[in-house]
Amino acid sequence: MPVEMATATGTATMEITVSKFELLRELTATQGVVERKTTIPILSNYLFEAGGDKLVLTATDLDLSLRTSCNAKVKKEGSCTIPARKLHDYVKLLPDADITIKLLENHWVSIRCGRSNTKMVGMARSNFPSLPVFPTAGVVKIPAQVLREMISKTGFAIANEESRYTLNGALMVLKPESITMVATDGHRLAHIERSGEKFDGVSGEMKTLIPKKAMDELKSLVDSTEAESIEFARDESTLYFRIGPRLLTSRQLTGQFPNFEAVLPKDNNKLVTVRGEELSAAIQRVAQFADERSRAVRFRLEKGELKISASSTETGESEDTIETAYNGDALTVGFNAVYLLDFLKASGNGDVRLELKDPQSAGQLRPGDSEEYKYRYIVMPMRI
Amino acid sequence: MGKIHVLPEHVANKIAAGEVVERPASVVKELLENSLDAGSTRIKVQIEAGGKRLIQITDNGCGMVRDDALLAFERHATSKIKNVEDLLSVSTLGFRGEALPSIASVSRLHLETRAAEEPTGTIVEINGGKIFKVEEAGLPEGTSITIRDLFFNTPARKKFLKAESTELSHIASLVTHYALAHPDKHFELHSATNAVLVAPPVAGYSERVYQVFGKDTLDQLIAVAAMQPLAHVGLPQPPPWRREAEEDAGPRDPGEMRAHGFVSKPETQKLNRNSIYVFVNGRLIRDRLIQHALTEAYRNILPPTVYPVVLLFLELPTAEVDVNVHPSKTEVRFRQQTVMHDFVRDSVRAALMKARPVPQFINEISAHASASPSLTPGAQQAAAQLSVAQQSGAQFSEGNAHRFAPDTSESRLLNQPANIGDFQLHAPVPPSVSGRFQFDGGIQVEGNAAVALARAPQVVPWNGCTPPIPDEPEEINPTLAPVLASLKPLGQIRESFILAVNREGLWIIDQHVAHERVLFEKILKQRSAEKVESQRMLMPLILELTPAQQAVFTEISDELAGNGFEAEPFGTRSIAIKVAPAGIEACDIEHMLHDLLDQISHEEQILNMDTVRARIAASVACHAAIKVNMPLEQNKMEWLLAELAKTDCPMSCPHGRPVVLRYSLKDIQKAFKRI
Repeated sequence: MPVEMATATGTATMEITVSKFELLRELTATQGVVERKTTIPILSNYLFEAGGDKLVLTATDLDLSLRTSCNAKVKKEGSCTIPARKLHDYVKLLPDADITIKLLENHWVSIRCGRSNTKMVGMARSNFPSLPVFPTAGVVKIPAQVLREMISKTGFAIANEESRYTLNGALMVLKPESITMVATDGHRLAHIERSGEKFDGVSGEMKTLIPKKAMDELKSLVDSTEAESIEFARDESTLYFRIGPRLLTSRQLTGQFPNFEAVLPKDNNKLVTVRGEELSAAIQRVAQFADERSRAVRFRLEKGELKISASSTETGESEDTIETAYNGDALTVGFNAVYLLDFLKASGNGDVRLELKDPQSAGQLRPGDSEEYKYRYIVMPMRI
Repeated sequence: MGKIHVLPEHVANKIAAGEVVERPASVVKELLENSLDAGSTRIKVQIEAGGKRLIQITDNGCGMVRDDALLAFERHATSKIKNVEDLLSVSTLGFRGEALPSIASVSRLHLETRAAEEPTGTIVEINGGKIFKVEEAGLPEGTSITIRDLFFNTPARKKFLKAESTELSHIASLVTHYALAHPDKHFELHSATNAVLVAPPVAGYSERVYQVFGKDTLDQLIAVAAMQPLAHVGLPQPPPWRREAEEDAGPRDPGEMRAHGFVSKPETQKLNRNSIYVFVNGRLIRDRLIQHALTEAYRNILPPTVYPVVLLFLELPTAEVDVNVHPSKTEVRFRQQTVMHDFVRDSVRAALMKARPVPQFINEISAHASASPSLTPGAQQAAAQLSVAQQSGAQFSEGNAHRFAPDTSESRLLNQPANIGDFQLHAPVPPSVSGRFQFDGGIQVEGNAAVALARAPQVVPWNGCTPPIPDEPEEINPTLAPVLASLKPLGQIRESFILAVNREGLWIIDQHVAHERVLFEKILKQRSAEKVESQRMLMPLILELTPAQQAVFTEISDELAGNGFEAEPFGTRSIAIKVAPAGIEACDIEHMLHDLLDQISHEEQILNMDTVRARIAASVACHAAIKVNMPLEQNKMEWLLAELAKTDCPMSCPHGRPVVLRYSLKDIQKAFKRI
């Protein structure tokens, strides 16, 4: 909870004692949000606010902000800012003991721990940007486990840069009884859906674009939490995710997510099931001999086997054969090895179903044993 | 009474003066050309007040007898041509017979001349076109013309003259360039206060460059020399009834074209074309055709808006070039434009490729690599190479610069095994990892170059790529491939520039452009092998095009398809991209195509497919290449440097930016005050 600064008295004060372990845990959790290459100096600082028996830490790069807290003995309530990287690096090296943080004059901050005594120069608290406040209404609870799964299975397909046709974010669609997440970079698309959930407060369809950076941050927060569920809310410009005591806010992406439903293949009729590990290993071997730029590998589907091959004028050529139960017409199609490996890595062990049609049409991959999640991965072929 | 009348001669002269005499420099040009046509070997130019007050040109040419001296000031009086046929094969610089009367009509002119065979000379004085005084006098042989108060009677023109210093600089650059074109003659240029240029005769062009510009400039230049027999291709044949008459005269030898001179290394970049000097048969010209050929030669080496320094002398049979285009004679027409264009482009390109110059390369490496040949153990083995080298020398003298390059490299490749031992003795640079031709690497070059050097100047002074300068080109332009392969990357600066070292010093490599260069050549290779790989889009990318882009797109759509694009028209002025070359991120494609189409639509020239192909490859390479601000692991950096070493032109990216900078050990030592 944000704490009002003690402004009543003339000079700002703050004095707290906090355990090193707890402070370091929160500092580490927020490091990802601290802007590294900022031109705005205040953004490389933490905001520390002490009130009650809590220390609230805030970091922001204006797109994302992360607010977290830890227990502290508050001697004097107040707030200060401290350079984030330096503080993190320093606290890491301190012995496991209590740390006393005290605001001095001219924004200097003293940090004492045992026999260690350091003074760091902060900046005026008023420079720190004001942050959006968690809305009180329209909060949806999403199971942490579901969100974790969905992010890890779509996040890798997000484009790195934004353009008219790709957004560097994922689309989350909430319906009263299902949640869907979709990500694409224009060449491939990852789509995961889970139904049978119950989302209170959602009526009809609630579509949200989550920026890539927020996805990454969210993933690490969800991974490290013990909380059962995540509280999600949004207003006109901001997304809010509350994970236990931590609150992640992100500026919303604006733009039209591509009409992904149009590209989901419907009549892919050449189906083959292979072991994911086997396929992944074969592709990795063969891809050593693929063109370094295009990473193209050739899939040759024949009766009883799947041949994977690659060749380049510089390195040579390579082929792997996997036995299958395929019984249809022969088909040759090229794919980017990296795209396939991304999927195989995310989908984990188990069978993988390859659903192909012809050398020009999108191929679809699905894990063979997905009962809880409907996970599909669409990848466009290459012409080689 | 009719309204039309013939203008009096002095008016006609003033009109002609408007065309010929634009500024003091044009006076100097006309008079210099007269002196050169008169066979002078010593020409002295004296300038005061930027030529506004005084221009005096003194030569030791053939001079004129009294009658000639007077006749010279009549309009269309000339000694240089006699009839209209001569006009087709003008071999002198002047021929129109307009310069002297024109100059005389707008200045106070004082002429002193004596022909060698006459005992006495003649003095003529003319003021604003009116003969003032003609008298005999004892004078030295040759001609001296003094122009005072230029434009004194045409105030309008006078007003348009620039500052004295500007006019002087025009004159200086003019005299300089005639001096460069005639290294066997003595040139002097004096202003009122100091000697601007004093250039005694020297043996060759490179000495003249050294004399005029100094060592630094010479180091920045690459010698070009090429020759190509002129075949009459694609010219209209005379009709059959006339053909016989021509054949009676015997099959005419079409002659040959020669180009020699200097072009700058890519890191020398000028913002305008003022440093491009082209001489055709000794005449300084400004010709769009040749300029375009030069731009083409530097394509993908220099960025599009900067220009190289070029000093190019073209020589071709007089019948092949028409100089009678404009009174100031700075324009010419070539009979075979395309042949000329391609010849210039290819010769310059070949020289650039061969030299593969390194930015900021100081002679240090080569200085030690080219210790005198007799000291190198390689020289003893040179006998074995001699035959090979002679073979290549023979091809060389056949004069085809393009064929020359690969042949020699092959012969060098043959020599390689024998040389490896010596190679390591001298340059601890390991033999290139890439296994590529050691085109100019270390000792091998020396062995062969020494042989070629011994032969070349006397036997075939014009041959192939051997520049008419005595030093080995390799010495000026040490090359890069083996050096690059020996680099050991240390790390990155700001995750954008790779720092690498070898024993020559510290190198900085721009990772984006380096990769761009690697990809560029690879894409071109894949394209020519028709082995382009492409990636289908998840959903078609709809591009909206401007009319200009649309026109370009239609024109190049086949080539785009060949490069792995698949696009369909999608309504008016929109296209749907369904497939794009592999390696480009989907979000980059839109950018890339817009850039490409814009670039090509700004091109004035009609496009040939090679250019388009190179443009497309450059665009694809640029967007597929690793970007700046991207951390690279050690092995990635090593890979990149090794790949770069294999490229044909590792020095500049396809858009012309430099790829590699070197801070030599010597520079480092100097900076630390150790030497």
